Parts: sequence; structure tokens; C-alpha cells
Amino acid sequence: MAVSAPHVAARRLANILFVGFCGAVTVIALGALALILWSLVSQGIAGMNLDLFTKSTPAAGTPGGLINAIVGSVMMSALAMILALTIGVLAGTWLSEYAGQSRYGEIVRFLNDVLLSAPSILIGLFVYEGLVFPFKTFSGLAGAVALALLAAPVITRTTEDVLKLQPIALRESGVALGSPVWHVIRSILWRGAASGILTGALLAFARISGETAPLLFTALNNQFFSWDMTHPMASLPVVIFQDALTPYPDLNRLAWAGALLIAASVLAVTIIARAFSKEPKR
Amino acid sequence: MIALAKPEPPETSIASIEASRVKLSVEDLNFYYGKTHALKNVSIPFERNAVTALIGPSGCGKSTLLRTLNRMYALYPGQKATGRIMLDGEDILRPGVNLSMLRARIGMVFQKPTPFPMSIFDNVAFGVRLYEPLGKAEMADRVEDSLRRAALWDEVKDKLATSGLGLSGGQQQRLCVARCIAVKPEILLLDEPTSALDPISSAKLEETVTQLRSDYTIVIVTHNLGQAARLSRHTGFMYLGELVEFGQTAGMFTKPVTSRASDYITGRFG
Repeated sequence: MAVSAPHVAARRLANILFVGFCGAVTVIALGALALILWSLVSQGIAGMNLDLFTKSTPAAGTPGGLINAIVGSVMMSALAMILALTIGVLAGTWLSEYAGQSRYGEIVRFLNDVLLSAPSILIGLFVYEGLVFPFKTFSGLAGAVALALLAAPVITRTTEDVLKLQPIALRESGVALGSPVWHVIRSILWRGAASGILTGALLAFARISGETAPLLFTALNNQFFSWDMTHPMASLPVVIFQDALTPYPDLNRLAWAGALLIAASVLAVTIIARAFSKEPKR
Repeated sequence: MIALAKPEPPETSIASIEASRVKLSVEDLNFYYGKTHALKNVSIPFERNAVTALIGPSGCGKSTLLRTLNRMYALYPGQKATGRIMLDGEDILRPGVNLSMLRARIGMVFQKPTPFPMSIFDNVAFGVRLYEPLGKAEMADRVEDSLRRAALWDEVKDKLATSGLGLSGGQQQRLCVARCIAVKPEILLLDEPTSALDPISSAKLEETVTQLRSDYTIVIVTHNLGQAARLSRHTGFMYLGELVEFGQTAGMFTKPVTSRASDYITGRFG
């Protein structure tokens, strides 16, 4: 085999250029992230105080906090995640284990992908038509359903994908012991795919925790503290949206604090969930 | 000059086994993957409490035959078997057979180790819990006994609560054997159980099989002719979906009757 020196040199140059390009793009992406985090922390930290967690959203000029929005967001996100996990894990399991390449399976898979990229404002409108208009009131429940509709396709997709990664021999060896297929799925495949399913759930949670558009039509907002999910409910994104647009500096500060709170809670949930799902040492 | 007519070797040669010693008997089995005819009129007896080896080149149908014996193929629509497979005088291919109960009687170990994502103890207890409501102490005994029989107990007795995924490949494969025999099956199907293992682990697994073979009817598919010779009492040679030759292992490896088996065993193809 003949080695051509110019060819080797050209190849080496192409390699250097490519690695350099990848590095530069990474720096740009990380730089943007750092700037976002910096403005979030520097502006949000000023609004962090005890009032934030004890008082409800104020009128301009009076002291107040975000407790109504925090409680609203937590309740709606929690309910949304319960609904979305139930639907998403079961649908993903069905797609991976039972649907195969059947026509119905392909249709469901395609529609799920469409839903995955549907604009969130459309989801809000849909839930408005279905759950707000007929009952003549905005409600926390409607907000949770809208968020669940956003989260479920993400979980469905990741569940299907991680289940498909489980080796066929694993399924067969469960069945070979005399176990029914559903039992193999429940006690072997779900366990093996747990950390992947969790990743999907975290992605979905991160997505819905900052969603504003679907909540505007559904949960609306609430100036006062409320546990009642059948009535309008405050949420962090909507409060941020409203307070950020006002000309009052104290409300603006509250909006920044709320934004920081969302980012911090997504981070916290991710870290906690990861810590609980440590992969066994291989 | 007149050449002495040397008798042509027969196309196929299937020895029979005395009926009372047969545990499992395949009769006129045909198998189809969709339209592909993968097994052609295969008839083969498997002797009780002995090892039978299935050898032959890749794609000859050995694994397919193994997968009909516990009806694993039934998981996949489009795969079909016709003929009869008699287990203690009962045809397991007939419709209405309870597949879960059947598979509890016929254990299977796969080519690659497949530990479940759970502790070593739970791996072994998995199949038992499906069918037997054992108390804590009884279950612990069963797990220990199974791990001992699979020659794994001494290596794992101090870490039963740790994940089965943390074991080495060879240990994982013996864990799969332990998991299988914990259910107290009558038959063990081993599908190239050492092909993913290093030589030392392979030797340990063979040792395990040697210890088990007087209590179980074992069918082993292997590409390793030495392994077939060491472990089995009978050997079946398959080629292109047919059973070409079946007989005592000792005879088959020293003096194969058919030319196809002879070519394969002497390494002329394969």
C-alpha cells in the first residue's frame, strides 16, 4: 500500500478544522447558557426573601411574594406529571411491546410525534374549548390537563425508545421461566428501562414547568392564595409574564425571582431524581 | 479392470433410543419463519437425564429446533411449527397447551447472559415466585441450593443483595443457569451457552453442566465440537434444516456414518 504524503497532510488539516469548528460551536452554545444563567441569578437574587414564600402576589407598590403562584405551579405540575406518566408509560409500552409494525401502531406513533411538536398555545386552546368553556370557569384542573397533554407525548416517545433498547433475549429469558409477557414487562423491562423513562419524565417536567401559553387559557391566574383546583389558579410562568410587563420595578423584581425559582427547582428535581436512580455498578 | 463397488454412504442416519429412556421426542417437525421453511421433517429423540448435543453450521436450524421445544417461537406471529413434540407422551404442539406451565418445566439458557436488572437473590427467586408461594426460609434455601448446583454459590454468597448486572460474564451465565434450575424444570435447553464466554468461564460452565446432567434432560446447541464431545451422550448433526445424522456421540465423532457429518466433523466445511 502506498502512502501519499499530501493526502495524509490534507486529512490531518481536515481533522483539525473539524475539531476546531465543533469546539467553537460548543463555546457559543455554552456561552449563551452562561449569559442566561448570569442574568437570571444576578437579577433574580435581589428578589429572594422570606416574603417570596409567605405572601401572595401584591398590587404594585405593596409588599408581596409568590406563594400563591408557587403552590399553583407545584399542584398543577404534579397533577400533570401524574397524568402524563400514567398515559405516557402505558402508551410507550404498548407501542414498543404490543403494537410492533401494525398499522394502528404506526398511526399512533405518527400522531404522537405530531403532538410532540404541537405549539403549546394550540394545546391551551383545545383544553379551553373542552374544559373551560363548558364549565364556564377557568380552573387549575384545566391547567393541569393542558400541561399533561404537553408532557405525555415526550414520555410516550422516550418510554418506547428505551424499552426497544432492552435486549430481546431479556424478554425471552423472562418468558422462558414461565412468566407471562405482561409480568416480564412490569418486573423486568420497566426496571431495566427505569432510568431512561425517568430521563423522559424529567425532560417533560422541564418542558412544562416554564410553559405560559397553555395556562393563560386554562388556569388563568389568581391574585390570591388558593388550594382549589376547580377555580382559577396562579402559576409562576403566568405571574412572571404579567409582572415582567408592568412598569413597576418591585413587580419586575418579583418576576425575576420567579424565573430563578423555576430554574432552580428544575435543577433540584433533576439532581434528586438522578440521585435516587443511581445505576448499579457494572 | 473391475472396480469393487464400494457401498455409497447413506444420505441420513438416525439412530433410535429405547422408548422407555426417551423424555422428549420430536416427530416429523416442520418449522416456518413466514414462508421460509426452516426445519424439514425433523425427528429426534432426547434421552432422559442425559445430554444431547445439536451441532451443525450456522443457519442449519439447531437454535430453531431448540426454540420449538419450549415453544418460544409462539411469541412471534408468523412463526409456525407442524408435527409433534411428545413430552412424557403428551404433544406440546397441540393448541391449548398452557405455555407458561410448559416453560416452567423446560428451562432455557441463552447465548448471551441475560441477568435481570435486580439483585442476585431476586434473579434466582424470580421464576420460583411465579409458581410457588415459598416462605422466607424456604426461598433462601431454594436460592442457595440453585446457586450451589450452578457452581456459583461460593462466589456470590456474600453479595446476594447486590445487582446481578455487577457479575462477570461467566458468573452471569451461571446465574442464568441457577435461575433456570430454581424453578425445578425437567429439561434444560442451552443455546450456545458458552459462545460469549472466555475459556476459563466456559470450562466452569461445562463443569456445571456435567454436574447437572444426571438429574436433567439437557439439550445443548453448540459450535464447539469439543464441547459436544465432552458433554453429550448423543449428538445430532443438522444441515440446511434437516437432521442428517443422530447417534451416540462417541460413535459419531470417531466414525460418522454420513459423508456430510463426516465432512463437518473433520473440518472440511462449517
